[in-house]
Amino acid sequence: MQPERVSYRGRLLSRRSFLKLAGFGGGAALLAACAPAGTPAATTLAGTTVPPTAGTAAINLSFWTPGGSAVWCSSFDTIAQNYQQIEPDVTIGAAQCYTGDQSFNEVLLATIAAGNPPDATIIWSSPVAFAVRGALEPLDALMASSRYSQLENWPGGVLASCQFRGETYGLPVTAGAYGLFYNQELFESKGIPSGRADFPTTWDELRRLSKEFTHWNGDTLETAGFFPWSNPADPGSAAVELAIWSALNGSQLFDSVNLRYTLNTEQNIEMMQYALDWLDEEYMGDVVKVTTSGNWSGSPDAQGRPPAFQDGRLAMFTNGNWFTGDMYGSALAFERWDAGLFPVGPSGSNTASGYWPNWLVIPKGSAHVQEAFNYMDYIAGEGILVWFANVPDLPANLTVPSDLVPTKVIEERGQAFAEDIQAFFRGQLDVATPMWTSPVQDFGNDQIARAIMQILGKQATPEEALTEAQELCQTELDGALAVA
Amino acid sequence: MSGFRSPWAHLSLMQRREARAGMLFVLPWVLSLLVFTAYPVLASVILSFTDYSIVQTPHWVGLQNYQTMFTGDPSFWPAVRNSIYYALISVPLGLVASLALALVLNMRAAGISIYRTLFYLPSVVPPIASTIVFIVMFEPQSGLVNTLIRLTGLPAPAWFSDPTWSKPGLVIMSLWGIGATTLIFLAGLQDIPRSLLEAAAIDGAGPWQKLRNVILPLLSPVILFNLVMNVIYSFQVFSQPLVIGGTTGAPFESMLMYMVHIYRNAFRYFKMGYASALSVVLFAAVMLITLVIFRSARLWVFHEESGPVA
Repeated sequence: MQPERVSYRGRLLSRRSFLKLAGFGGGAALLAACAPAGTPAATTLAGTTVPPTAGTAAINLSFWTPGGSAVWCSSFDTIAQNYQQIEPDVTIGAAQCYTGDQSFNEVLLATIAAGNPPDATIIWSSPVAFAVRGALEPLDALMASSRYSQLENWPGGVLASCQFRGETYGLPVTAGAYGLFYNQELFESKGIPSGRADFPTTWDELRRLSKEFTHWNGDTLETAGFFPWSNPADPGSAAVELAIWSALNGSQLFDSVNLRYTLNTEQNIEMMQYALDWLDEEYMGDVVKVTTSGNWSGSPDAQGRPPAFQDGRLAMFTNGNWFTGDMYGSALAFERWDAGLFPVGPSGSNTASGYWPNWLVIPKGSAHVQEAFNYMDYIAGEGILVWFANVPDLPANLTVPSDLVPTKVIEERGQAFAEDIQAFFRGQLDVATPMWTSPVQDFGNDQIARAIMQILGKQATPEEALTEAQELCQTELDGALAVA
Repeated sequence: MSGFRSPWAHLSLMQRREARAGMLFVLPWVLSLLVFTAYPVLASVILSFTDYSIVQTPHWVGLQNYQTMFTGDPSFWPAVRNSIYYALISVPLGLVASLALALVLNMRAAGISIYRTLFYLPSVVPPIASTIVFIVMFEPQSGLVNTLIRLTGLPAPAWFSDPTWSKPGLVIMSLWGIGATTLIFLAGLQDIPRSLLEAAAIDGAGPWQKLRNVILPLLSPVILFNLVMNVIYSFQVFSQPLVIGGTTGAPFESMLMYMVHIYRNAFRYFKMGYASALSVVLFAAVMLITLVIFRSARLWVFHEESGPVA
């Protein structure tokens, strides 16, 4: 039987030939799809398309961020446009905001390994952890000749998060400073003075105050004063904030000078024993009962429960200055709140605070190191004003005017209070303990979180849990340093 | 000694052309199998003997990753225990539930095809979305599940906030996705000759006896298939425990499943070599379990011609 044929421009084409051609065509299409795309049109988070720039500019910079809200990501398009007005020879592509389903760090490291990283990027993991892997450009020489980013223009404790073996690998462009938020109206309802100056200055005072607000109904915790040392349902955040409580008790979790973990110092064991005693005394010694009784974080949880602080069920709460705006994301059961200094532990002598930065870095292999740094320097000193207007993260660079005040706080509490609370948090940066300085930061945080869970869950004593975490972290650190 | 003889030499011209065309058609699949499956598997095995953090060149460490796994990683054994617990409970429960559902859906009733579609629908819901729904349903204070439990007067567990109840909660969640297994059982049930069931009925067999002596033996190859697939899937459970417990496996590492442990080492700590070693061990363990199941199948899988293969 003759194979079926189809006519093509007057010629006969067998079915096999047709399929063969289709196969070759498909293969060619596949190869074309895999080919480099030239200069693509970039799409911003807002959905607008930025056309590729005509080839007049000498340098085209690429800039990434790990994610964030739409309004935050779009800030970088405005900052880029402003920068291009003063540096017309440089064009900056639309900021690539997050990397889809894949982990940002994973994608970033893969592009560095492949030799095609972005020219500059924001990262949310410690630059030291990247630097130890040889993934970032050192910035000291560039900082020395910069307009805004000289070493002395950054709070020392905050810049420490970018420094490894004497070199600086990032700019902590913003650093949200921590404070102890409290509900003034709840204080006053119990006849307790609510001024900032009246806030407890020692852990013992804080513990006594906390008891005033804690009330159980059977096994349900209806209202609470304060949890040592953080929201027990969120061990990850607790691990970050533990560095502050350790500093308040005269110790630290990591010695960045000698590159040693110091988790099981006497002061740290005392700190966790203090938390355990507090849990036993005020919270039935049962962390599960606490976590099942409500959402003790600062935002609605996955189960849809309102945050206890905003709901008026939690009197005091550790959080960063970003919470001055974020707290209004949930219905607030009261109007007046304030933030106090962290009280000092039995073995400590001074108050301390902590911070959570956005770091600007230049990945190893960036095609335009100098130009990328110039842009980062501009963001740190000037672009930050656009950033702050959209999202009031606390600028860390000391050249930025200190009278910046978040709009949301002005709207809710008035100009005077907004200026006062902003000044308070700026002051908190001055007493910030060094954080984020470990080359194995994420591993360390997870081990600290595990130790906290073991201690509060009474699966191990503070000494046992902290000693195990210490050994694991130090082993991991030594391994990382050995190949650095 | 004879010279080289092409394996295609005995084929006619037409057969050669067809063979060549066939080769061309399977080539993309063979290539993608080699590039996207075989190569990563091989690379994982090799990387499991290295210290590798993506940016730096892999550094050969011999068996150190395996040694660390068994003796120096305090989260390894909890992750193993959690995954075994989940597999041991969720697989039999899922098989029984999906078989029961398939038996119901195999009935001749009005609108049965609608029910079949409805029971399959949960299988196409993205796991993260369904997990969030379950988190809300299992909320200890005011969630739907505990509200119903309290109506019966029983104590309501704290589910995903309590390490004692978090894994049972995850197992219950796994039943949400039994639609695919049910569908395979349903196909197997419809393949059973009606004549055998009718003959059993004539011989006086009731529903239970028909199920035990006719349906289950004839369905045993399908049960074997579902058992093997579900065991493999159960050790790969990832999205649900990650959404509930994060990378720390909260509460108290009770949700730290083996795949979450691999993910956290690979993409949080960038210990690609160690994560590869964990993956190799998982592969070996699942292969071993699968071989044991196949071996045991000789005792309980029925073949129509000869009965269980002795």
